[in-house]
Amino acid sequence: MIAAALSDLLAERSGELLVRTGEHVVLTGLSTGVAVLVGVPLGILVHRVRWLRAPVLGAAGVLQTVPSLAMLTVLLVVLGRIGMAPAVAALVMYALLPIVVNTETGLAGVPAQAVEAATGCGMSRGQLLRLVELPLALPVIVAGVRTAAVVSVGVATLSAFIGAGGLGQFINEGLALLNTRLLLLGAIPAALLALLVHLSVGAVGRVLDPRRRRRRAVRLAAVAAPVVLVLAALGGQSLSAGRVRIGCKNFGEQLILGELLAQLVETRAELPVLRYFNLGGTMICHSALTHDQIDVYPEYTGTGLVTVLGAPVDGDADAVLERVASGYAERFGLEWLAPLGFENTYAMLVRRAAAEEHGWRMLSDLAADAGELRAGLTDEFARRADGYPGLAAAYDLHFGEVVDLAPSLLYEALVRGEVDVICAFSTDGRIEAYDLFPLRDDRRFFPPYEAAFVVRSELLDELPEVRAAAALLAGRIDGDTMRRLNYEVDERKRTPADVAREFLTTSGLLGG
Amino acid sequence: MIEPEQPATPAIRLTCVSKSFDGGRTHAVAELTLDVRRGETLVLLGSSGCGKTTTLKMINRLVEPTTGTIELEGEDTARLDPVALRRRIGYAFQGIGLLPHMTVEENAALVPRLLGWSVERRRERARELLRRVGLDPDEFARRLPEQLSGGQQQRVGFARALAADPAVLLMDEPFGALDALTRESLQRELLDLGRELAKTVVFVTHDLFEAVLLGDRIAVLHRGRLEQIGTPAELVGTPATPFVRELFRRPAEQLDTFEQLLSRTRGTR
Repeated sequence: MIAAALSDLLAERSGELLVRTGEHVVLTGLSTGVAVLVGVPLGILVHRVRWLRAPVLGAAGVLQTVPSLAMLTVLLVVLGRIGMAPAVAALVMYALLPIVVNTETGLAGVPAQAVEAATGCGMSRGQLLRLVELPLALPVIVAGVRTAAVVSVGVATLSAFIGAGGLGQFINEGLALLNTRLLLLGAIPAALLALLVHLSVGAVGRVLDPRRRRRRAVRLAAVAAPVVLVLAALGGQSLSAGRVRIGCKNFGEQLILGELLAQLVETRAELPVLRYFNLGGTMICHSALTHDQIDVYPEYTGTGLVTVLGAPVDGDADAVLERVASGYAERFGLEWLAPLGFENTYAMLVRRAAAEEHGWRMLSDLAADAGELRAGLTDEFARRADGYPGLAAAYDLHFGEVVDLAPSLLYEALVRGEVDVICAFSTDGRIEAYDLFPLRDDRRFFPPYEAAFVVRSELLDELPEVRAAAALLAGRIDGDTMRRLNYEVDERKRTPADVAREFLTTSGLLGG
Repeated sequence: MIEPEQPATPAIRLTCVSKSFDGGRTHAVAELTLDVRRGETLVLLGSSGCGKTTTLKMINRLVEPTTGTIELEGEDTARLDPVALRRRIGYAFQGIGLLPHMTVEENAALVPRLLGWSVERRRERARELLRRVGLDPDEFARRLPEQLSGGQQQRVGFARALAADPAVLLMDEPFGALDALTRESLQRELLDLGRELAKTVVFVTHDLFEAVLLGDRIAVLHRGRLEQIGTPAELVGTPATPFVRELFRRPAEQLDTFEQLLSRTRGTR
């Protein structure tokens, strides 16, 4: 079953698989190459200057212990850009330790007798290093490079979080959509690539081994082959010039919105698009935008206000939109386009049948009966000031019992009647699917989270067609529509591209 | 100690050379003064820890003397570039020290390579030397050291030491790791080779028989100090110190005992 499903997916996305594999090879190859160029000299230095040993190996060891995502995020901020550069920098940091350690170990393992014989014959220090120490240490150094390269293949899967592509792109998308097939489409080739890298670095090492007699040309070829491969893969990367770079965060709704805009830009504005989808969070998307790494991504007004501008929560939707629009324009040169027509905010859900039976339409209606009700809340919602504590104060709403539930269990619990109310996100596709009813936030307690595209103003000046294309979506997606689209992707496991195309076609937005 | 007048500049002259590895508390070599004459084989003889290897390594500056001067052909070695100095001196030592990743030919031609000889000239020289030390170049040139026996490796070691045709050879117990039979045949060959090439050789050993066999003169070292220097006959005939007398008496006694044992074995047949 899975195999068959996987082979369908493989056929459907084989082109992308090739591109992602190429990106992965570039990430791994570039970072391992740079790590060799930095790590081997560092290993030699540490071998010769003994007091440097502890601090250098200590520092390399500490780098190794930094969690990958933290490393990526820090480098993203330090380098001020998303994509290949911070990803390669992070991978180099991880690759350094095995290379430095093995270079040092290899050099320390060169027989003292060989060193003395060579010195006694009149070798200078440079000749000693080049003709004796490095050749004899080579097998150990190659083992270090091998470890570094294989680790890089693994860590590189995380680089997709910061828009560097690679096979991690499938894994990210699979995680965002809880789609096992997509996960496997990234994970299996990554594992095969790791194996291949392991074998090929070993083969290069054997060709270089000075104890095996090889022609110089063969040795040169062994070193040149991986370099050429990586450079070829690098050359194969599509260039971003003249393309509209569209980003989005790593969950289903964002992927759908990204696809909607991408397809409109492609068909209506007739401009090529580069998709930087599945970026790992608000700040990554935002800094990508401010550093001219992407041109546009979908955001929510409340998030822009609180997370990006650092302003206090405000209940009025129009006021919030106005504040983020002026704040973004002044501080970042970014423009908020017209809202799409829905909010993705917190919502309190009840079963539709119960709502009808008790006449619950809005949160105020619930307050009177709350003492009799059991609420299923996530741990986070139960604690946040803009969650249950604030809600209870704003509506004088106090549930009889609060049950702590994991996000994945909330809907089941409500549908089975184990709880009467749950917290949720207002555009969740399951609201529709399970016939649930979101109670209106009549006192506007939850901050408004209207969805809209944020765009670099410069792009809009250069390519006004993009504004026109995006304007087609303004006000066209209400909460019900978004919930339905999310359901297709999150629950029915259709691809965001498919669902977006279907929506655009049925709404007549693809023109004609 | 009687040192005859030297008419010409000696090949190597050590003057008051001392070496301390612990900042002067103890001395591996203490106030050593001696000349190595051109074309002679001088053996530095002593038990382990007597300072003979340290003395040898000070000549090619693998070890720097703490005090004193060492001259090579009248030049103070402290003023020479150590790398250039070592390329002028052939060096072979215990355990041979062939470079394990280089072929026999590459090992033999190492010093010419460092001196910048052309590839053809290097190869020619290596083949010539291999023949000279009794190894057929067609058979051995492309092998790695690990594919040779101990004796063959030592021959390559000699070839390497001779490669750039240095006037001076330093040898540190080159036969130390070899079995008795191999050692004996190599000793004889080295003797012949030395005479033929008229090299100045400084040879370190703890083996009295080897010293007597190979040395034109022998310098006996004990606890870093020179006990006596002279021809084997002088050392046996007129030992200058009790240590030297004892050194030569013990093996003589052992030989006697050995012969008695042999004759007794014959007697019982």
